[in-house]
Parts: sequence; C-alpha cells; structure tokens
Amino acid sequence: MDAALAIEASGLFKSFDGKEAVRGIDIAVPTGSIYGILGPNGAGKTTTLRMLLGIIEPDRGRRTLLGRERPLEAATQVGYLPEERGLYPAMKCREAVAFMGALRGLPIDVGRKRAEILLRDNGLGDYVDKPIKSLSKGMAQTIQLFGTIVHQPKLIVLDEPFSGLDAINQGRLEQMIREEAAAGTTVIFSTHVIHHAERLCERIAIIAGGRVRFEGEVSEARDRLPPQVRLRTRAADGRWRTALPHDAAMTDGIWHFQLPTGGIEPLLKALIDGGAGIEELSIERRGLHDAFVQIAGEAAAQQMAEPELEAAE
Amino acid sequence: MMSVMQASWVIARRDFMATVYSRSFIFFMLTPLLVVGFSILTAFVGSRAASDQGPVVAMTVDTQTGAALMKARDHLASRTNQRAFPRLTLVPPAEDLPAQARALIAEDEPGYSAVFSGTLDQPVLHGPQRIDESVGGRMTLIIEQAQRERALSGTGGAPFRAAAVQRDITTEAAGNLRDVRLGVARFGQFIVFFFTLLLATMLLSNLIEEKSNKVIEVLAASVPLDSVFFGKLLAMLGVSLIGIALWGGMFALATLFSIQLLPEGYELPPISPAIGWPIYSLLLPIYYTMNYMLMGALFMGIGGQANSVREMQSLNMPVTFLQMGVLVLAMTVIGSSMSGLMPMIAYIFPFSSPLAMIAEAGQSAELWPHLLAIAWQAFWVFLTIRISAALFRKTVLKSGGSSPLIPRFKLGRSKTA
Repeated sequence: MDAALAIEASGLFKSFDGKEAVRGIDIAVPTGSIYGILGPNGAGKTTTLRMLLGIIEPDRGRRTLLGRERPLEAATQVGYLPEERGLYPAMKCREAVAFMGALRGLPIDVGRKRAEILLRDNGLGDYVDKPIKSLSKGMAQTIQLFGTIVHQPKLIVLDEPFSGLDAINQGRLEQMIREEAAAGTTVIFSTHVIHHAERLCERIAIIAGGRVRFEGEVSEARDRLPPQVRLRTRAADGRWRTALPHDAAMTDGIWHFQLPTGGIEPLLKALIDGGAGIEELSIERRGLHDAFVQIAGEAAAQQMAEPELEAAE
Repeated sequence: MMSVMQASWVIARRDFMATVYSRSFIFFMLTPLLVVGFSILTAFVGSRAASDQGPVVAMTVDTQTGAALMKARDHLASRTNQRAFPRLTLVPPAEDLPAQARALIAEDEPGYSAVFSGTLDQPVLHGPQRIDESVGGRMTLIIEQAQRERALSGTGGAPFRAAAVQRDITTEAAGNLRDVRLGVARFGQFIVFFFTLLLATMLLSNLIEEKSNKVIEVLAASVPLDSVFFGKLLAMLGVSLIGIALWGGMFALATLFSIQLLPEGYELPPISPAIGWPIYSLLLPIYYTMNYMLMGALFMGIGGQANSVREMQSLNMPVTFLQMGVLVLAMTVIGSSMSGLMPMIAYIFPFSSPLAMIAEAGQSAELWPHLLAIAWQAFWVFLTIRISAALFRKTVLKSGGSSPLIPRFKLGRSKTA
C-alpha cells in the first residue's frame, strides 16, 4: 500500500438487482488533498463512496482506506457525512455530535466538550441543549457535519455536502474543508455542482455511467478542451472571414471559436491581412464545467451506444 | 376538488396495494396455518399433561381391599371427574407397614402422595400433615364409599358404620413435592414467556427508527452491524430488566403483605424448585436474558427487513403466534424428565430451550444440563445476531456477495444508491 494515498481503489464493481451501478472504478486519493468525485445524478458516486467506506461490499475489485483493506478497521480515523442526512430527532445537539464522535471511538465527555466548542464557534451556541427536531434543515445538516469532524479524523468523506445548504452555509462549508485540509486531513467529497470542486479540489475523478471517465488534476481536466477565442471586429464582412474556423459562431456581435491547432499567430495575420479591423481578441481557458459537460456528454453517448453494440454482438 | 369519498378511495387503494404487495403480507396470510398448528400442539400437550397429572396413593393392602377401594374410587370419579380423586396403585404389603410406607413416600418414582395400609375396618393413611385437606380428604371419601358398598352388599355382615381413618404423619411425600415442582416449572416458564412476549416484540420495530431517519447509514459506516444489533438488544434488555425489577419488587411486596394477613399458625406449602431456590433465583434471570436475546435477535432480524410501519404491523400477529408455538413446545417438558421426542426437541431447539430449561430447573435437581444449555443458547444468540446483521446488510444495505448462511430473501424493496 502506498502511504501517500489515503484511498486507493482498483476495479470496483457493484450491481444492484442485476443492474451494474459501478463498472470498474479506479481511484487514488493522495493523503492531505482535497479530492472531488464529480458526476451527474445516478453516475455511481454514492455507491463508490459507500464501497470505499465498507458500508457495502463490492462485487469485485479491491480498496484500501488509510491503508486498511477492511474499511471498518480505520473507522476511528474517518468522518462520513452521508448524502441522506440522519440524526435522531429527539437528541440534543451536543449529544448528537458527541454520539457521532463516540461511534468513532471518541470518549463521550470529550465529544460533549468539543461539540459545545464547535457549536459556539459557529454561532449555534444557543442550540447546544436544543433537540435536533427544533432546528432548520440547514442547521441540522451543520450539526451532522460537526459530528463528522468532532473526533478529528484523518480522512473526511462527504457525500453531496453542499446540497440543502444556502449560499452562506455553502461558503462556510468550503472554508471548513480548506481548514481541515490545511491541518493535514484528507477530504474527499462527491458533488454534481462543479463550481465547488473547481474552487476546492486539487484532484478530481469524473464518474459517469459507473466508470471513471477522467482522473487527475483540475487543470488537466480543463486542458482537455482547447482554449476558446473571442473576437470582435469592425468589419462585418470581408476576405478575413475565410480565416475563421468552421465552428466559429457569433453571439451578440462577438465571434467564439476554438483556438486553431496552428496557434494564434497565423490567424492573427490572416485577420489583419483580410481587413477585419480587430477591436477585441482574447484567448480564454475553458472552465471545469465545460470539461465536465463534455466528458459526461461523451460518456452518455458511449453508454447509449453500448446496448446497441452488445445487441449487435 | 375531489369529494371525500373520492379522496378516501385514493387513499384506500394506495394503502391496500401497499399492504397486499408487501412481502410481509405472505406471513400475515400464513397466520391461520400457525393458528391451526398451534391448536393441534396445544391439544397434544394438554392431553399429555392431563394423563400425567394427579396425585397417586399406594395401597399396601390385600388384593380384596385394594379392589374394593379401586371400585369405590372409580364410582366416585365417574360421578365427578377422573382428576378429582387420587389414582390408586396396589403394592404388596411388607411386614413393617409404617417403614414400607415411609420408604414409598420417599421414592421419586412414581412419586406417591400418601400410602394407605390396614383394612377397611382399620384404615391407616400415611403421609404428611398437610395432605389432610387434599389427598387425605379424598382418600377418606373413597374409604367411606368402599365401606358403604361393602355394607350394602352384605358381605361384611355388619351394618354400615364409617370407620375413622387413622393418620400416620410422615415427612413430605415425594409425589407432593413433584406436584409443587411441576407448579414451579410451569410458573417459571410462564414468567419468562410472559415478559419476553411483552417486551421482545418491541424489538420488531427497533430498527425502523434508524432506517426512517437514515441514521443507519452513519452507524453502518462507523461500527460493525453486529454491534448495532447487539447494542440495541442490550439496551432493550436493560429496559426490560428495569421493568421486571419494578414489577417484581411490587409483586414481592404484595406477597409479603399477603403473608402477614394469613391466620396465625397457618403453614404454607413447601414451595420449592427441585434445584433449590438459590440456583433457581440465578437461573431465572439468566434464562429470561437468553430467551429475550434469542427472540429479540430473531425479531430484530425479521423487523429489520420491513421497510415501513405497515409491514411491521403485518408481522406482529405471526410473530406473536410464533412465540406461543415456542411456549407450547416448551410446555411438553413439564413432567417429562428429559425423555420423549417432543421434550428433547424443546430442550435442544434454541428458541424453546430457555423456556424448557427453566421448567427443568423447577422439576429436576441436576445442574449440569443448565451449564450446557446456557452455553448452547449463548452460541445461538451470537449466531442469530450474526445472521440477522448479515441479512440486514445484504438485503437492506444491499451489500455483500452470496453466502450459504444467508438466504436470498427480503421483505420489501429498499432504496439503492
């Protein structure tokens, strides 16, 4: 096992009622990093996380969690926020956080003290002795998040942590994730909202149709798409138009097209020679969102083609 | 806007379909079979118990006197019922009748309640003081009936005059002790069954909370599911023991108060389990715990498969009958002394074993079977928890490959990732 990896998984397969939900997932999460698992709804993100944590066993493949092949053996060093949040409604906030810590081996008294500190530091001091059922959904989710980190785990696994939170709480959560990572904790989270991953993650895996379609740094994902050129000209028409690529499209008087493979210089010369009268020209790097849409779109197309291929075989 | 009837129909249709199409409904539909099976078993056990019970009196008399007493006994019994009068057994008389009587009374088998000796003119009844109002009284009636019949037939030559029965007071008879012990066996069995029935059924719906509020996901990621099951069982056992301590304490106080109200000099019957009160007092909570844990683990495993309160409700009745079936099976051991097919099944079958063994403690002084039984039951508690947890993991959490221990079985549809 590689000590530099907090999570390592290879060839994970899982079927439910004969339908494959995950079809050969390979993931390597570096220790101390913030790692995002991205994918559209139903891509297999939650199933992957549940397999990594040992909640469900894979049909095939192997995984290690903090070096342990049996994830429960590392449970005291792991914090997990499930997609479907779960708390006992009658439990008081402090007790709920302490209980979740106790499940991970934290002495209950220590858990209570830490819970109180977490609640007070995050503006929830008035709710320390209030039952969970008296909280709003967002507040309850925050309590569960505190329960996920109260035992100061080495690895935090968050399944769709931003769903159900307002913008302010989403910002707080992002801040908390950064702080945990800065303290050396490995954070892995799943999301289908790309902006969070783009802001937070060093590495990502894009899952679609139960397979990893991309695994690497965020910049690598972006680099899969050629840069986009924005061009505004004084001349509406002329010889310069022949220099534009076939995929060039105009929106609100601005031309958009992919940077030609030959680079910007030949295009620039042709535009000047053709009398375009360049008012504005910029080269924009594509965002993760675009990369995600393209990768997930390709996966969807491939998935749709697969049954036809199988039928043909 | 829909009318009330239309809306009611929509609700009724959904509820009906949800119930009928749930897999637990199969168990609900099978309940009549359980009722029939239960009735047959009850009848079997009842007839068996009836044939076993009733005091026995030995007659160390000549055959003529013995025949006269038996005839008188049958005559009286035919006018009342067979169990109203003690059964009579003829034993050849020895030279020293009082010594023979004491020896017979001390014998465990067949367990005589009293011994009759002498003649119809000079009847002697050997036995402890306290039988005077029970077996002794009935024997006096039989003797008088025999005397009356002899007088009416004229074979005695003398007019009828009831001869007083002479009493020879002995120590407690083995037969009476056996009756007391059978009573203790029944009582212990009933107590364990009653509290388990009352409290273990709660475990059926114990996992519904975690499933409905999704806490189960957090639990499953943090600790082994076996721990979740075992922890819940222990918690509910603790709750039940608190309840039992409270109710038991109140019962003990009420008993002590009742004893104070007894008339002075009243002698209480020597109620004692065969194994003795100290060990019995230890075994009673142990067997209750075992019974509770076994039934609780089973019910939690069954209940864990249900996805809704509706499915749980459908399971309640068959589960109650299941418990009653187990009780009826365990009842077969009363008076059996570790023999017979059904009693042996009751001792060995893990879910009836605690009930059977607490009855055994009431009627037999042997200690080693209890040590063996407790180890056997503890093993099954462990195994039932493992199977229940594995079944839950497989069918509810949708985890794991196929296992020979875990059948492909589920009650309802569960949500997948």
